[in-house]
This record gives sequence, C-alpha cells and structure tokens, in this order.
Amino acid sequence: MRIEKCYFCSTNVYPGHGSAFVRNDAKVFRFCTSKCHKNFKMKRNPRKVRWTKAFRKAAGKEMTIDSTIDFEKRRNVPVRYDRELIQTTVKAMKRVGEIKARRERVFFKHRMAASREKQRAHRAKVKAAAGVSVKLHEPLSMESSSTKEKIKVPVKAKSALIQGEGRSMGMDID
Amino acid sequence: MGRLRRSRVHNARRDVHRASRTRVRTRDLDQIQLIDLDPKNRAALEAQPLDFEKPGLAQHYCVECAKYYETDAALNSHWRSKVHKRRLKQLREPAYTIEESERAAGLGRETSRRPAAAAEMPVDMAV
Repeated sequence: MRIEKCYFCSTNVYPGHGSAFVRNDAKVFRFCTSKCHKNFKMKRNPRKVRWTKAFRKAAGKEMTIDSTIDFEKRRNVPVRYDRELIQTTVKAMKRVGEIKARRERVFFKHRMAASREKQRAHRAKVKAAAGVSVKLHEPLSMESSSTKEKIKVPVKAKSALIQGEGRSMGMDID
Repeated sequence: MGRLRRSRVHNARRDVHRASRTRVRTRDLDQIQLIDLDPKNRAALEAQPLDFEKPGLAQHYCVECAKYYETDAALNSHWRSKVHKRRLKQLREPAYTIEESERAAGLGRETSRRPAAAAEMPVDMAV
C-alpha cells in the first residue's frame, strides 16, 4: 500500500480513492478527484492553474528549498519490519513535522512582509498620481443657486367630478 | 503575478467531451519534448515507411503537433499557421511531468542505490 500523489494538484491519494489514467507508454497518472481528472482532460497545465501545488511552488508562494522536505521519499526497496525502527521513525516524523510547520510560518511571514511593503509603495504611488486631480472646488455662489424658478406645466387633468369627461368606472368606448 | 487567463481563449470548440476521448488522444507535450524532438527520433518520424492506415501514407508528419498531413503543401501551410506557432511556444518551456507533480508535493526520489549518479549530480548543478 502506498500513498500516491495527484498528478494535477499534488495532494495525497489514499488507497481506494481517486482514479488513475494509464497512458499507452505505461505512465500512470493518478487523480485525487474528478475535478483534477477533468482539468487534465482539458489539457491544462497545472503550473498555470492557481490552486495547484505546482503553481504555488513555481510562483514562489511556498518553501521549495529546505532540509525538512527531503525526508519524504519514494523508496522502492522494502524495509524489513523492525519495531525499534518504526518507533524511531514515527517519533522523527512528528518532530520533523513540527520543525517544518514552524519554518513554513516564518516563510509565510517574510513573504507577507515583502508583499505588504510592495503594496504600500504601490498605494503611495497611486495616491501621488491621483493627488493632482483630487482638488476641492468652491461651491457655486448662493445667488445663482437660489434663483431657481418653478416652471409651471399646464396640465389638462381629467376631473372625476365632471360626468362624461372624467374618469369613470366603466371602460372608455369611442 | 498578473492575470493568467485571457479573454478570447475559446475558439468555437463545440464538443469537448468528444475531443477528450482516449481514442483521439495524440502524443502529449512531455512525450514530444522528451522523446520526439530528439534529433534521432525526429529523423525517424519524418521519414516513416509507407503506412496505408495513416493520412497521406504517413509521409507528411509534423513532429511538434504530432499530426499527419495529406500533402507536402498542406504540411508547409501548417508550418506557417498560428496553431503550429502556438505549439512551438508551448514546447519552449519544460513540459509538466509526473515527477514534477511529485516534487511539488514534496516527494523526492531515493538516489542512494546509485552512488555514482548521486556523486555526479552536484557537479552538474555547479555547471
């Protein structure tokens, strides 16, 4: 039993889950969900689809060079069961996971700090560019605004009081 | 990062499901880039023996697009086309492979079985 990686999004594919496509040169493409399978069929490049691990690694959004990453490997030589070895491995996995999480947090903080700086500079630039046009105008003088005249529109309203001419309950018949 | 998807990317492709059947699959980008574009393989593909099953008896083949043409004129006009140029552009950057998907997941390959190859690796990296 082996935990495979999805071809498209690089998440774990546990035994009994997902689907696989075998190309005619015997390469096995594993997919975690139908979403990933469909995207593969559409011939999309995972490096250009923003929600995949490949994109995040290629765009520098995640840690790529680190000693904690090197522990997980595909090993094709089976190891004979050894109680002591399993015990130490499990212990080491926990410890490595802890260290990795801490380093990832630091990486994220640095990345965000850099992006915040960039955004601040961008905002200042936009503000400087817009500063010329944002100028308050003086309101128009009071006299001109107060001399509004009411325009009377002659309305030929139909009176309900006059019979024949006014509105009636029945329909109008010519 | 700017916007990756652009407008006007759908060019009236009507039946996507029919186009994605396994029977109409051609060679993938990674196969073309890593195998077919190798000069030796390329020469073999361009000088195929007569095959009555293939279009144009398999005499006019575009290696980059993995497609047979009927005549030499058709192949030449294809080389001048937008489709072919777009394909060349796609092939210019390294193709996405299963190994890359595993690397993105943080899964490496064990190289301790071949110490000679492992010793050579850093030299290559330095160069």
